[in-house]
Amino acid sequence: MSDRKTDIKPPSLPLKALRWFCDPELLEDLEGDLSELFYSRVSENVRRAKLLYALDVLLLFRPGIIKRFGQFNHINNSDMLLNHITTALRQATKHKGYTAINIAGLVVGLSSCMLILLWVADETSRDQFHAKGDRMYEVWRNLVQSNGDIQTTNGIPLPLEHVLRTQYPDVDAVTSFTWEMESMFRLGEVSSFEKGRFATPGFFDVFSYPLIVGDPKKVLIDAPTMVISDKMALKFFGNDWREKAIGQTLRLDDREDFEVTGVFSIPANASLQFDWLVAAQSFIDRSSWASSWYNGGFSMFATLKAGANVQAVRDRIGTEVIRNTNHESNEPLYLQLFRENYLHGTFENGVPAGGRIQYVRILSAIAVFLLLLAAINFMNMATARASLRAREVGMRKVMGAQRSTLSLQFITEASMYAVVSTLLASITTYILLPYFNSLTGKSIHIQFSDPGVWAAFGGMVILTALLSGLYPAFMLSSFSAARSLKGKTKHGGSSSFRHALVTFQFAISIFLVSGTLIISKQLSYILHKDIGLKRENVVSLELSGELARKKEVYMNSLRSVPDVQSVTITNSSPVNLDMSTGGAKWPGKDPNLKIEINVISVGEDFVKTMGMSVVKGEDFSNVFLRDSARFLINEVFAGIMGYDDPTGRELTLWGTTGTIAGVVKDFHMSSLYDPIAPLIVRYDPKDTYTAFVRVNGNLHTIIAEIERITKDINPAFPFRYDFLDEDFARQYKSEQSVSSLVNIFAGVSIFIACLGLLGLSSFSADQRAKEIGIRKVHGASISALVLLLSKQYATLMVLAFIVATPLSWLYMNRWLGDFSYHIDMSIILFIVAGLVTFIIGALTIGYKSYAAAAANPMKTLNEE
Amino acid sequence: MSSKYSLGEFEEVVLLTVAVLYGNAYGAAIKEEIEQRLKRNVSVGAMRTALQRLEDKGFLESEFGESTAVRGGKRKRYHKVTPLGKKALDYVMDSRQKLWDAIPSTAFRFKYS
Repeated sequence: MSDRKTDIKPPSLPLKALRWFCDPELLEDLEGDLSELFYSRVSENVRRAKLLYALDVLLLFRPGIIKRFGQFNHINNSDMLLNHITTALRQATKHKGYTAINIAGLVVGLSSCMLILLWVADETSRDQFHAKGDRMYEVWRNLVQSNGDIQTTNGIPLPLEHVLRTQYPDVDAVTSFTWEMESMFRLGEVSSFEKGRFATPGFFDVFSYPLIVGDPKKVLIDAPTMVISDKMALKFFGNDWREKAIGQTLRLDDREDFEVTGVFSIPANASLQFDWLVAAQSFIDRSSWASSWYNGGFSMFATLKAGANVQAVRDRIGTEVIRNTNHESNEPLYLQLFRENYLHGTFENGVPAGGRIQYVRILSAIAVFLLLLAAINFMNMATARASLRAREVGMRKVMGAQRSTLSLQFITEASMYAVVSTLLASITTYILLPYFNSLTGKSIHIQFSDPGVWAAFGGMVILTALLSGLYPAFMLSSFSAARSLKGKTKHGGSSSFRHALVTFQFAISIFLVSGTLIISKQLSYILHKDIGLKRENVVSLELSGELARKKEVYMNSLRSVPDVQSVTITNSSPVNLDMSTGGAKWPGKDPNLKIEINVISVGEDFVKTMGMSVVKGEDFSNVFLRDSARFLINEVFAGIMGYDDPTGRELTLWGTTGTIAGVVKDFHMSSLYDPIAPLIVRYDPKDTYTAFVRVNGNLHTIIAEIERITKDINPAFPFRYDFLDEDFARQYKSEQSVSSLVNIFAGVSIFIACLGLLGLSSFSADQRAKEIGIRKVHGASISALVLLLSKQYATLMVLAFIVATPLSWLYMNRWLGDFSYHIDMSIILFIVAGLVTFIIGALTIGYKSYAAAAANPMKTLNEE
Repeated sequence: MSSKYSLGEFEEVVLLTVAVLYGNAYGAAIKEEIEQRLKRNVSVGAMRTALQRLEDKGFLESEFGESTAVRGGKRKRYHKVTPLGKKALDYVMDSRQKLWDAIPSTAFRFKYS
């Protein structure tokens, strides 16, 4: 019997569980009690006893019995947290100056960071809304020149569209449209100028612009139809355009009628913005060039079927133009994902090579740096002033605080700063956003309903807290309790690490300042460069409506305005050409030479109005010479032709053979990123759409007079004008806005770095107050003392200069390299950047040092 | 005053039982004693936490005693009422007594008409 009894044992699983969770102090007698109970129950019923045993163990799983898991008692933890918060608040209110410096730095850093992140988010969200975005491609055409250069254009021969639609099973939908045009639309009394394009059917299959009214499958198919934007619909049809617009007819340029068959809206983050799309058929019908494989003029987009082999399509489409022109044009085609075009829109050697993405990268880096600078301030201040906290740390350690608890305390403190600063920074950002928008030309809103925004805020709090709190937490918690209570912890932490951080801050500042100087110098170089034509004081006027029919009359009346020096007409702005040919021929041309030549059609006085000069021969001013086809070429083209004197030589352009009247001095007809390309100026007043007027005198009265004349001839159209130099400057809009951003944030970085310096130098001045007093008593002069206090930080700034300059030099050299025409970097720029930073920094230190040095030694030595 | 001698009903029962079992007041015995005398079920867990609380309050003290085979070689923990525990019990009884004494004789004269 007794043998059997000892065989039966309490169930092992509940026992194991008990041993696991039970407080070891209570375990022994509990286990004993339970086992005693078990054996007394076993005599009645073994299974029941086991069950009751398990039940008892289960009921023991309660507070008071369960052991403390981990190091902390979790109930105590919230009290500790409260204590940490109280301590942090006391510290913050006790040293208000330092608190202000910390918070100011963090707020400035964080709000700059937020603004930049909003900008970056806006940039990267461009064109991301298209439903088939992952398989939506734009076609690009690479013009391979004989010298190996490749020019890339998105002007594609229209016949390709038909080929893609009918012969490519992998192509899902395809559409093409013209370049942006500005036309006047009229409905009864209402008329307005709107920008838009002629587009082929399929547009709404490829692009996901929402069609609010109308059937996406049916619009743009019939020739005299159009779709308009909701903005334009509102203008013409009022608030109830939804009901009214469809079926109405708008008159384009007082020339043709188009029936409205749909109304679309355009998301704000679409890079392609337009107010109308007219069915392309009518445009194609009157543009004979459009049906040729030799002329590219359309932008073409295609979506592939889901799962299609992109590479196969790429390989096949690559040679379409070459095959269809019987190898006359060496123009391979390239497919680029459309959604990548906005940021990667620059082509080099026929493949995408950056673009706006580089500005996104630069500014993202600046955002990270600014946050880092502010965090460094916090770090430096916390570690420099560690000696003040040493006793507290020692005391806490004596009372049994673990190192991890102490670290948590300092992380908590940093987190509080992070929370407060992030809150203040979001308010600042919200207030600054309208100014930021007008500076960058964006319309960014903070969508507070978007959980992503809150996630970003939360992320910033955590990042800031960790960046600024981790190192101080690690360092302050490492103090030995005994040493710090004896007061033996001097200054705490290695000051060399702190100095490295200060150096880093100033290196960043110098980097940004020198970058700013170089960018703005390059920009002003571009904007003021002699581009070979005098672009100031030239008014441009579009030849719309009646003006196009009465060009001669209009030009003559413009010439009669006092202070108008000369008038000309052209087909495109001379600083932004949009026509070119690969088919120019001349006697002696190497048959294998493949070269794309820009073409501009002009009327009388072109050279004179643009302030260009003729190097050889003469311009078109000789009336007799105008009767036959006449050309001017630029120096680059003359060089390619290879004649000593090309004047009088034959040139064939688009089937018309004529003679070269003269050579004009090279001028920049497109972006300064590109070298000057060969150019033909052809005399053809019929092919012109814009008048340019060179004026000299009071702009206000001249414009008023021009308006009167224009209205006389063309009363139906509103009067509009532009300036050539502004047109030129607009090409560099993104550079200008990035330049002003970098400018501002360079200032911000100096500000933050100086705040940190102010904190550090005033702390060391406080620390050394007695030393300074004694030195003064012994006859030290104020200037010697200021030098003594500043020397250390001045050295750091010099070191920062030495570190930053080569990096900045390398980076900016690469940036400038993108421009074919750029300034030479001189060391002077870097010295200026270094000096500016140094002087601001020195003033900051000097201010505090002087105050300390000038203090009456009586006061500092008296207190104890 | 009352906070000094805060004593719950179950705690009071346990404390009294420890006194009853003087010299032999260990877990299983206390449980059995309460169950027998008061005819109420006591779980090991409830009793153990009560003992722990009483010890934390200073009303009990405990020490390990001998181990037996039936306990799987685990020692017993013997509990003893401390002088403070006695005071607490006195206080509770006193305060009850005072209340009893204060009841007017008419209060319990239940006459149902």
